[in-house]
Amino acid sequence: MSIEFLIDGKAVTAEPGQTVMDAAKAHGIHIPGLCGEPRISKTTSCFVCVVRDKKTGKFLPSCSARPAPGQEIEVNHPDVLAMRRTALNLLLSEHNGDCEAPCTLACPAHAAVEEYVRAAAHGDFAKALGIIKERIPLPMTIGRVCPRFCEKQCRRNVDGEPVAINEFKRLSADMCYDSYMEELPPASGKRAAIVGGGPAGLSAAYYLRRLGIESTIFEMMPKAGGMTRYGIPEYRMPKALLDRELAHWDKIGVKFEYNRKLGETLTLDELRRAFDAVIVAVGCWQASGMRCEGEELAVSGIGFLRNVIENDCRADNPGRVLVVGGGNTAMDCVRTSVRLGASEVTCIYRRSEAEMPAEKLEIREAREEGVKFQFLTAPVKLERRDGQLVLTCQKMVLGEPDASGRRKPVPEPGSDFEIAADTVIAAIGQKTIPPSDIPVTRHGTVAVGTDGVTVAGNIYAAGDCVSGAATVVEAVASGRRAALAAARDLLGQPMPEEVPVNVTRGKWQDLSRDELVVLRSDLSEAPRQKLSYLPLAERKTTFKEVCATMTPEQIAAEGRRCIECSCSDKHDCKLRKFAAEAGCKVDAYPGVKQPPVYDVRHPEIIQDRGKCIKCGVCVKICKEVVNRSLLSLQKRGFKSCVSTAFGTAFPDSCRECGECINACPTGALDWRKKR
Amino acid sequence: MSKIISLKIGLASCGVAAGGEAVLAELKKWTQLPVTEVGCIGHCYAEPLVEACLDDGSSVMYGNVKPTEACVKNILALGEEGRFVIPAARRAKELVKVLALAGHISPVVLKEYTDHEGYAGLRKALSMKPEEVIDEVKLSGLRGRGGGGFPTGNKWSFLAAKPGFDKTVICNADEGDPGAFMDRSLMESVPHQVLEGMLIAAYATGASRLIIYCRAEYPMAIKHLKIAIGQIYEEKLNVLNGRAVEISIKEGAGAFVCGEETALIASLEGQRGMPRFRPPFPTDRGYQDKPTMINNVETFGNVPLILREGGAKFAEVGSAGGRGTKLFALAGDLKYPGLVEVPMGTTLREIVFEIGGAAPDRVKAVQTGGPSGGCIPVELFDTPVDYDSLRSLGAIMGSGGMIVIGQDRCMVETARYFLDFTHRESCGKCTFCRIGTTRMFEILERIVAGKGTEADLDTLEDLGKKVKAGSLCGLGQTAPNPVLATLRYYRNEYLEHVREHKCRAMQCSAMVDLTLDRDKCVKCRLCIRSCPVGAISADFVIDPAVCTRCNSCLDSCPKHAIRRIATGEKK
Repeated sequence: MSIEFLIDGKAVTAEPGQTVMDAAKAHGIHIPGLCGEPRISKTTSCFVCVVRDKKTGKFLPSCSARPAPGQEIEVNHPDVLAMRRTALNLLLSEHNGDCEAPCTLACPAHAAVEEYVRAAAHGDFAKALGIIKERIPLPMTIGRVCPRFCEKQCRRNVDGEPVAINEFKRLSADMCYDSYMEELPPASGKRAAIVGGGPAGLSAAYYLRRLGIESTIFEMMPKAGGMTRYGIPEYRMPKALLDRELAHWDKIGVKFEYNRKLGETLTLDELRRAFDAVIVAVGCWQASGMRCEGEELAVSGIGFLRNVIENDCRADNPGRVLVVGGGNTAMDCVRTSVRLGASEVTCIYRRSEAEMPAEKLEIREAREEGVKFQFLTAPVKLERRDGQLVLTCQKMVLGEPDASGRRKPVPEPGSDFEIAADTVIAAIGQKTIPPSDIPVTRHGTVAVGTDGVTVAGNIYAAGDCVSGAATVVEAVASGRRAALAAARDLLGQPMPEEVPVNVTRGKWQDLSRDELVVLRSDLSEAPRQKLSYLPLAERKTTFKEVCATMTPEQIAAEGRRCIECSCSDKHDCKLRKFAAEAGCKVDAYPGVKQPPVYDVRHPEIIQDRGKCIKCGVCVKICKEVVNRSLLSLQKRGFKSCVSTAFGTAFPDSCRECGECINACPTGALDWRKKR
Repeated sequence: MSKIISLKIGLASCGVAAGGEAVLAELKKWTQLPVTEVGCIGHCYAEPLVEACLDDGSSVMYGNVKPTEACVKNILALGEEGRFVIPAARRAKELVKVLALAGHISPVVLKEYTDHEGYAGLRKALSMKPEEVIDEVKLSGLRGRGGGGFPTGNKWSFLAAKPGFDKTVICNADEGDPGAFMDRSLMESVPHQVLEGMLIAAYATGASRLIIYCRAEYPMAIKHLKIAIGQIYEEKLNVLNGRAVEISIKEGAGAFVCGEETALIASLEGQRGMPRFRPPFPTDRGYQDKPTMINNVETFGNVPLILREGGAKFAEVGSAGGRGTKLFALAGDLKYPGLVEVPMGTTLREIVFEIGGAAPDRVKAVQTGGPSGGCIPVELFDTPVDYDSLRSLGAIMGSGGMIVIGQDRCMVETARYFLDFTHRESCGKCTFCRIGTTRMFEILERIVAGKGTEADLDTLEDLGKKVKAGSLCGLGQTAPNPVLATLRYYRNEYLEHVREHKCRAMQCSAMVDLTLDRDKCVKCRLCIRSCPVGAISADFVIDPAVCTRCNSCLDSCPKHAIRRIATGEKK
């Protein structure tokens, strides 16, 4: 005889023997649970499936409680949801693992690094490129110019050099770019205007099309690419390759209108009227001055670079060159000056080398090419004297750390000295010139909402004009978000979280080699693959690309150096899924985590105890279904764990079974081989 | 003048621990009189105890007996020195029924038990119908003494209602609360009384298996029970109107959670001791999936009395919140720690001050129910001790542990101390219990280390309530009690810790320095010698950076010149 009862006020029936959860499921009511498995006796461990008996106020595990006639069960009452969230938060608080690998978390675009590294290492460059293009629409460019946020967080840094992640993008793009074509959804009929054809605008157009929205890019210059074309020198980013990369936008049907500048040949109003959405991605094209007397005598860094690029790398010999500034633009200027035949190139920076924002690699390569550096030196006055420029500088000393965390340079009194030069380049920084009618922040950048891209109505902004001068990868990430926001507003598509609930073992800086969890069996201890450089003489005299793309053999070898930190179960993990559903926070209950104990003695099975939730499903599956009883719960309290008897390895025969792996709600038990 | 005809010496675990065996050896050197080794009369503070039985039927007791010739000869000469008399206040308040024979008869001689009405209750039961026995138990109003307080007669009737005899009655002797020793004492001192209660239960419920689940840490109880079981088999006392029942002992491995009935059954079956969801209740599906009933040692200890004197008479003692008497293991900051038996409904004030002899101005609170109980502040000591009154105060009766907390104890540290025990003893099954109690413990550790925040208090309270609501068994359902009760009654102490970094009890070492009063100091250098870390200089200055606040110097100082002061307070 069936039992009639209520779930959240709705009348439901349960067959005899059914639990509350069974009955709910039969009526299409979702109750999450981690430790239920129909083939075994109840474990009643996780308490995620908790519900409440309205009359008694008692919380019940719905996986085990059987309904009583007339019982009123609450599943989605705020108190019940809070209880469920706490259960999940507690489980997350002890979880010791990495959902996503640290490289993916560090990447501003959150590209699936581990996956494309593995695909490329296995020689499947088309697959790798497909994975890359999910987040990075300009792999050929970014594969060359990226400052590699990912590599800085690579766990191999613990005792060596990081995996050369960026080279995987570069080779995958070089190998397969022209033949690559994604499947596009049919156009929705919605159309967007994008102001600015730099990385952010290109990225927005690309992902808009992948979401079914067609777009037109309005570009003020005669060609697209933005700063990747007009700011990055040829020897770092050959323009022929950029053209090859941008051809894809034509393939997917993005329209370009060149020489259209907002405020001159274009107005925001006109775009708003003609399109369903407008994305402003105008970049940072206004150079900052040196803020000293005579600064107008200096050329700007971006102006200098743009002039060389627009003239196909032909420009006058700049003679003796002083470049003021310590960022990547400064490095581009000094190295471009070397290639133009400058007799002497000096970089002047007001702090010390340790504080330089430029990439270490760039500094090293500039030095190799003969560039001199004068640190702790700041310009005071620039004047023209006797047909040459004279820059008066003063020595600086480092004081207390400032807001940026770097030590603030303080002038040393009476330390003024002069340097003579033929060309002085100010590579201090860039600002945006925001379009009129658009709200700006006190930093002069475009003001956006909490999603980072929405300005107002169907107007969005992305890239440098929002963030201030930043990197290409940050710009493409921002462009993608703008596309997602537009799709949300135009097509009603939900905007996904950047990274859903994510547990991490922490940064390599806080870990020792012994604390690394290495689940793969064939980790290579070889050093990082070396790049193959042009001979120095050629580097200094031509604008040829400085180093070659790594070979497939090098990439295969480099791929074996990847620890593969991310969780094998990240896409199927019930804990992660339900935690995201419940709006959990991984740091709600800070405290000690499970020790990073793992077992990789079996060739095909891994046990990663840090991710175990002690539900005991594996124990019961092995006992009650497989009839082997190889696993048991051991120890007490927080130290409880699942282990084989006496901690022996899984027997070889386990490779035939895998029942415990299929039943494990998290990645605590899994097949070793990642796909 | 009277003459000694025999001697008794208390040699339960407490007597042995106090040196009773050496006293016995010394006694035997100097006398040929018979010496009976008896159990415990409950006056721990006076152990070792020797009773000289006189020819006029009276006896003289000697307490804190030393194993010396002088001491023993003083007893044999019936000297005045060292005589032990039960304090009058305790004698007036105590009502010794369950423990009537404890410490007075040999635990291992069946005849001594039967000479004192032993097995009269069983004989009475066997003359009745099983359902009449259950009615008698119902009439007595006896409720489970293990802490739950479920009416015993009802429990018995559930099992009796199951058809056939393939049923099990289990005696829960896994007394796990630190500081509780009621069951141990009863089993060591009068094992037959417990077994008699079990046999009556077997008769009344139709069970044919009796199992005592006793923790292995109680070797003497196990030894005495085994001897008693042998005697029962020999005398065929296990044959109940023609139906033989089987009695066995299972030694538990010391997991606190195995006191929980479903975990206990799992452990008996050879599984890991973990509770499971109820229903099904053990009376429906218990040991080896057969109907099973579990009662506590003390509950069984009450049963022979009920049968002997009748349920109605038994119910005359006690209050509405519980009938009969209750044993308590009194410990902590009081004068007379030990085992006491009082009528249900006796107030905490009577137990702590009159029986326990605690100094009225030195008591802050009492912790009932062991580590999973709650503390009750001295202002509420007029509360009668019964199941319902204690629960309404956020504490529990528990099995009967009662720890008196002095004014110089920090309540945050007290909560931390109890949670340290329970969070380790969680079986690990339920998320809330396993991780929730750990997180609560970590927060308490932070607070006593002076690193807590006010937000921590809210988290503690919220987590505590959720752990109680989201755990399968009594362990998790009660583990937050010490925290929630101290937060309820002593929130100001928590606030002082997190706001002012102050521990008024001077117990939390992170907020305390040690200081030496030069006016009192006699420069004996004992403090310097006792310091394990060399924190005291040759001119008697304690370096707070080196000092570990271990109190060695404070304890060693003959002049009490060293004391604990709040960090930063003027010396």
